Amino acid sequence: MEQLIQELKEHLIEELNLEEITPEEIDAEAPLFGDGLGLDSIDALEIILILEKYYGVKLANSAEAKPVFYSVKSLAEYIEKNRK
Amino acid sequence: MRCYIDRVTTNSDVVTDIKQLIPDAGMRRRMSRVIKMAVTTAVETLGGVENIAPLDAIITATGWGCLADSERFLRNVIVEREQLLNPTPFIQSTFNTVGGQIALLGHNHCYNVTYVNRSHSFEDALLDAMMRTTDGENRNILLGAFDEQTPSQHRIMERMGLYRCQNDGEGAVFAKVTAERTEQSIAQVTAIEFLTNSLTEEQCRERYTTDEKCAVLYNNYTKYGLYPTSSAQSFAQAVKMVCEGSTEVVIYNEYFGATPTLIKVQCIG
Repeated sequence: MEQLIQELKEHLIEELNLEEITPEEIDAEAPLFGDGLGLDSIDALEIILILEKYYGVKLANSAEAKPVFYSVKSLAEYIEKNRK
Repeated sequence: MRCYIDRVTTNSDVVTDIKQLIPDAGMRRRMSRVIKMAVTTAVETLGGVENIAPLDAIITATGWGCLADSERFLRNVIVEREQLLNPTPFIQSTFNTVGGQIALLGHNHCYNVTYVNRSHSFEDALLDAMMRTTDGENRNILLGAFDEQTPSQHRIMERMGLYRCQNDGEGAVFAKVTAERTEQSIAQVTAIEFLTNSLTEEQCRERYTTDEKCAVLYNNYTKYGLYPTSSAQSFAQAVKMVCEGSTEVVIYNEYFGATPTLIKVQCIG
């Protein structure tokens, strides 16, 4: 899980152009949207692409999105549970 | 028809830190190179983001638009077989991205138009600015032009032989245009023409200058390189020449046989 979290942080920095942030500065349990990293709805679309492109994971039910997209840790747990 | 120029800035004149010019980190991280280049030049011209809100119009010009983002989006379409397309390069690849980003930075809802008319995009934007100031519709206008070069664009144009005589180029130029002369006015634009026939440098001098002291910038691509809105660089150069003592500068632009254009910049009388 630790390795997956680290990998996810790197993908987020790369794909969301978070040039001024290092993986170490991202708190895995902090909220991604609003407070914390301060991401927005365009970033949510980019994260959906990260899940699908790198892990083959599709978000089947949009109602699941809020808890899954809460933090890096919740994203990693969802990937762990759903990847083929 | 005339308008006054309060300030003109090119991307190489920008000295302020980008974090000061574009304080919103969320906006900054999505901007490609050309958007950063153009928006920082625009904000530097205005002297800070707080001066965007009072503008009556934002008029921009570009020949190629946000080329790197357009290429990135099209490459994704091919590589990802029309699936899994990132939204950011799609959103940021439109020609009016720069005008939109400037307006968003200053929460400005004024007239906001981008002219994309090949090598006379800048001249069309300037004509719009002059018509709006002359009609009394707008008093304070931000006018700008930008284009970027990418390796693939360079390769294609080089293979077509377009850089045999001139180097390639890119850049951003912004000017603060006003309807009336102010204490800040440094030059005035007194004429703009779209010609039907090509002119030689001598013909330009004979027909459009009033005395021997007048300068003509004739297809002035050597210094700034060849790109669709490079005449905006000549415009910035003309304004600087007028500030340094020239009475009148005529800019003639004819990019690969496209509609020749002529702009006359004069000192403040």
